[in-house]
Amino acid sequence: MNTECVAMLLAGGQGSRLGSLTFNNAKPAVLFGGKYRIIDFPLSNCMNSDIDVVGVLTQYRPYILNNYIGDGSAWALDQVQGGVHILPPYMGQKGGRWYSGTADAIYQNLDFIDRFDPEYVLILSGDHIYKMDYSKMLAFHKQKAADLTIAVMDVPWEDAHRFGIVNTDEDHCIKEFQEKPERPKSNKASMGIYIFTWKELKKALLDDAGNRESEHDFGHNVIPMLHASEKRIFAYPYSGYWRDVGTVQSYYDANMDLLNYDCDFDLSDRNFRIFSNNTSRHPQFIGPQAKISNSLICDGCIVFGKVENSILSHDVVIHKKTSLKNVIVHTGAIIEDGAILENCIVGARARIKGDARYVIDPTEPTPEIHVINN
Amino acid sequence: MKNVAGLILNVDGEDDSLKDFLQHRSLSTLPFGGRYRLIDFTLSNMVNSGLSHVGVIGSHKYSSLVDHLGTGKEWSLSRKTQDLSILSGSNNYHIGRLIKVNLRNLQNNRGFLDATAAEHVLIATPNLVTTFDFRNAYDIHLKNDSDITLIFKKDDPLYHLKDNDLYLEFTKNRVSGFHYKRERTTGHFFTEMFFIKKSILMELLDLSERTGDWDLIDMIKYNIDTLQVFGAQHTGYIKRVNCLENYMKTSMDLLEYEIMQELFLGKNSIHTKIKDNHPTLYEDPAQVSNSIVGSGCIIEGNITHSIIFRDTKMNAGSHIQNSIIMQRCEIGRNVNLNYVVMDKDTKISDHTTLVGKPHAPIVLKKGTVI
Repeated sequence: MNTECVAMLLAGGQGSRLGSLTFNNAKPAVLFGGKYRIIDFPLSNCMNSDIDVVGVLTQYRPYILNNYIGDGSAWALDQVQGGVHILPPYMGQKGGRWYSGTADAIYQNLDFIDRFDPEYVLILSGDHIYKMDYSKMLAFHKQKAADLTIAVMDVPWEDAHRFGIVNTDEDHCIKEFQEKPERPKSNKASMGIYIFTWKELKKALLDDAGNRESEHDFGHNVIPMLHASEKRIFAYPYSGYWRDVGTVQSYYDANMDLLNYDCDFDLSDRNFRIFSNNTSRHPQFIGPQAKISNSLICDGCIVFGKVENSILSHDVVIHKKTSLKNVIVHTGAIIEDGAILENCIVGARARIKGDARYVIDPTEPTPEIHVINN
Repeated sequence: MKNVAGLILNVDGEDDSLKDFLQHRSLSTLPFGGRYRLIDFTLSNMVNSGLSHVGVIGSHKYSSLVDHLGTGKEWSLSRKTQDLSILSGSNNYHIGRLIKVNLRNLQNNRGFLDATAAEHVLIATPNLVTTFDFRNAYDIHLKNDSDITLIFKKDDPLYHLKDNDLYLEFTKNRVSGFHYKRERTTGHFFTEMFFIKKSILMELLDLSERTGDWDLIDMIKYNIDTLQVFGAQHTGYIKRVNCLENYMKTSMDLLEYEIMQELFLGKNSIHTKIKDNHPTLYEDPAQVSNSIVGSGCIIEGNITHSIIFRDTKMNAGSHIQNSIIMQRCEIGRNVNLNYVVMDKDTKISDHTTLVGKPHAPIVLKKGTVI
């Protein structure tokens, strides 16, 4: 078992900007691309990066998430001793408390990490869609003899003000942080993926826990503190597809990227597969009058209507005389005879009546994406 | 059903028409319905009826069966309380008439029968396409205190009008005889699924060893007066796949929504080995109607009235009709296929046209490249 680097996946966030998609479900467990859940991406990345131990920190509405992760076998994370461990907040002798920030969540699980006695700790979050071989980032971290390495990517200059921006020297050493700056000095944005040398992280977490002023957040407190004490912090340059799916609009756009032929994010690539916890379902049944174009459709679907540029998750039923265009339909939803839907998201197990009309106004330049639940 | 052990027999095709598919696999692991293997139906029916110990008899072509079943996890049979045994089969050879239930196979696996504490054994063949809850039949078996309860289907052959279907004769509600008759459409058709008391099965095994007659049906026939043999009716869809024409017809039955609903949308699902595939991508020019499609496909062409298994790639300008395309096939541009059955890993290059006949489709062996 490889315990050189242990991954800690922050999966406790509520994701309130995803609206009703997270009413009874934690953000990492939200469906993506039909059959996947967001957490499949970091977990599959771990699997493809030879990481054998993953702690998943849960807090908000964890049932679906816990159930989905199960014993971790879907991502080959079911080995004896290692594998995936779900880490909810817990009671101790002095009582218990919720995770109050990203750093606090890790701090409360120092014992867990110590059990594996790793050299490095990889911190991940459960709200990004990307493929990344973390072992390359780890090699970079070791090569730079860094205390902390932050994965960064170039974002368009006009978007840079929405991100945490880092300024580096030519050796990728980070000289300055700017959190959502009005005037960004670079377009290198932090992707929220960190590798720490464990003994440095542990020291920093203990210091941070004793600081009453701190919000116990990596981005706001721990990393600035390390920067102030002149630790070796490097930026690992990543290029490739990466999307934050924190809002309904960005979630919708990232899903639709899968239908865009020019998009370089390829789920069918056999060399870097994204795994998910599959259950057995019947194959798709495409009825005699069905019309399907440029769509992703999962097992268990039954389609009698017209589906264009859309994504159907498992067990979706599309009745006759329906028309779906640019729609994401979540598990088990039923679209009844005659319904017409455009540019929206249909929530899990929703039943859309035949007289439903969700049609966009063509004069409106960027229609707001709605999540429909009944 | 705690008191019942399941036993799934190994059977071969009943003529040579399936031989191209059965070079490296037995009939039990013949791909069927876009993502399944034939045995998935019988095995899932047993598990869904509450059986917790199932033995599957293999043939000498084991690897596909072992690869498919693994530890039985997908059927919830790899728990401490529930298990799956893969048993050894014998070479079935036959002269003249086929043996329905070959006791030689059971003789080889007496260990499995001895080891189980269950007092009843549910025996079934692996090539039945049906969803069936065995619990009602088991209740009848217990209520009659029968030695053997044969499950039958009334007035609906399991097989499209060929011989080798076995009919039951009844005197009142007891089974009093058997016969084979050609081209009949009425009567009580034996489904090749039955309950038998383990003690009776052991006695019949001893008897067949002494007499050298390995056909269980013969054994029952000779002792019909002393054995308590009853019937239990199957009222749903059931077909037996045992030749190419029947494989084709049964596959195409799935494209009728009512049959598809009964088989796959009921309370109990048919389990199979799970693969990690991306959802199927229908590209812009694709036109698909009245078809069953597995996951992991990338489809650009036109498909009507066909069954497409997982991981198939089909390029633009191609047409597939009335065909069965098994896993990981690749179909080039401007290909026309009608009444074709392609085994796994088959590739068809651009501008190829293949047209078979409804009762005699063109068969492409596993790994063929055209």
